[in-house]
Amino acid sequence: MRQVSLFRAVLVFLSFLITGTLLLAIGSFFMVPSWSVVWENLQSPELLFSLRLSLWTGALSTVLVMLFALPVGYTLSRFDFPFKGCVKAIVDLPVAFPELVLGLCLLLCFGQSFLGKWLQSMGIHVVFTQTGIVVAQFFTALPYAIRIMKSTYDYINPRLEFVSRSLGYSLFETYVNVTLPLAKSGIMAATVIAFARCIGTFGTVLILAGGSAGKTDTLPITLYLNISYGNMGMALTCGIILTIVSFLAIFVFEKAEAGL
Amino acid sequence: MKRILVIGLVLGSIILAGTVFGADLKVYAGAGLIKPMEEMRLLFEKEHNCAIDVHYGSSGELFGLLSMGQPCDVLIPGAAKYTLDALKNGWIIEKSIHKLVKHVPVIAVPKGNPAHITSLENLAKPGIRVALGDPKGPAIGRVAKKILAKNRLAEQVGKNVTVLAPTVNQLLIYVALEQVDAGIIWGDLVTWAEGEGKVDVVTIDRQKNIIKTIPTALTTHGRDNAFAKDFNTFLASSQGLSIWKKWGFEPCDR
Repeated sequence: MRQVSLFRAVLVFLSFLITGTLLLAIGSFFMVPSWSVVWENLQSPELLFSLRLSLWTGALSTVLVMLFALPVGYTLSRFDFPFKGCVKAIVDLPVAFPELVLGLCLLLCFGQSFLGKWLQSMGIHVVFTQTGIVVAQFFTALPYAIRIMKSTYDYINPRLEFVSRSLGYSLFETYVNVTLPLAKSGIMAATVIAFARCIGTFGTVLILAGGSAGKTDTLPITLYLNISYGNMGMALTCGIILTIVSFLAIFVFEKAEAGL
Repeated sequence: MKRILVIGLVLGSIILAGTVFGADLKVYAGAGLIKPMEEMRLLFEKEHNCAIDVHYGSSGELFGLLSMGQPCDVLIPGAAKYTLDALKNGWIIEKSIHKLVKHVPVIAVPKGNPAHITSLENLAKPGIRVALGDPKGPAIGRVAKKILAKNRLAEQVGKNVTVLAPTVNQLLIYVALEQVDAGIIWGDLVTWAEGEGKVDVVTIDRQKNIIKTIPTALTTHGRDNAFAKDFNTFLASSQGLSIWKKWGFEPCDR
């Protein structure tokens, strides 16, 4: 009995230790700058531009990510087909990829390649543009959303779908009227995580969109640029906004997960 | 097998921690100087049996770190301006400043020069894609802006700029991967990539160019550090200069 409680005490202690260290690290972010500097920076056109850019590119990328995550997650959860393992591994790959590597891959793919030139002839310029930001965010966030959607569908009992099918509904009708409503919390969680991932994407956007100040600098890039300018006040302000966005995202995610 | 792995990991982290925390000397150097600096660091460490921790960053970043009071004994930025500004703020010991080598801007183009760039004026041709450094970040960004202004090309070339890269190395990648037709970059940096056959160099006329010098200097923090004094002198010694030359830098006239 005593041994068990010791075990428990050590585990609880470790959890508190790591939480305390994290809290200290995040807290120091908020303690270092003076609030007048943060307030001043919050009103600067440079920061407002990158905040606006981050929000609209993040929102657009999230919508695109979900448009693909819903069907691909369902496919991986419900259907068996040749090379399924292969598809799953490749779709998942960007999770383990360093963002800079993914950025280089996308640069080579959408740059002066066959695909890049074809897109350019249709008037779509990906490299060094705001379109590039969306493309970079899309590929960075997609695997996370697919993973969450797949495990959401995995938890939905297929018998409910069989019942719907046996009552004469088509596969599509069943998906829309039975599966999707049951996956509501998962969709919510995937959307929130995808959005947070899009807003926070750094390396991929830096390489593909170039990270030009006043053109393709989303919040993480503005943070990085201001570190390289030696302007710590602005860098910390960007950091604080990003921290708040992540915090809200995790909060909503936890809420959605509780509803699963 | 597992045990060996664990022991290896532990030893590795101890050695790593030792080099980071136990450094006898802390140096800040411009990111574009990494190749010669690393060679000189290894040589100096071996000869003096000490550990040096070099932080590489854009000149603006190094200046920012100094302004926040981060410890640094020897400062070698990408252009003399940063050392002189630091001197004005009282962070540098004036007597310790040595001019080292020249930093010469050139036009880098992808292998084979697909857009046929032969001069600075060519960068203003319609449809040319130009990459420049961010004027507020790396030293090369500020210099490129000044060169274009000096030659009254700022506006026309400005229209062709497709990307303002936050670091020199990113600039080099975009040229080498043919994502742009040309970029203004340090000549010494290009000699390494040129050796690998990725980019070609178009020189800028001397009277149109702005050539910078790279200085080394002791900071007030490193005043009493004997290693710092020796390292500062070593960088400017004939042995040091031969290493700078090997990596494509031109020594300053004495």
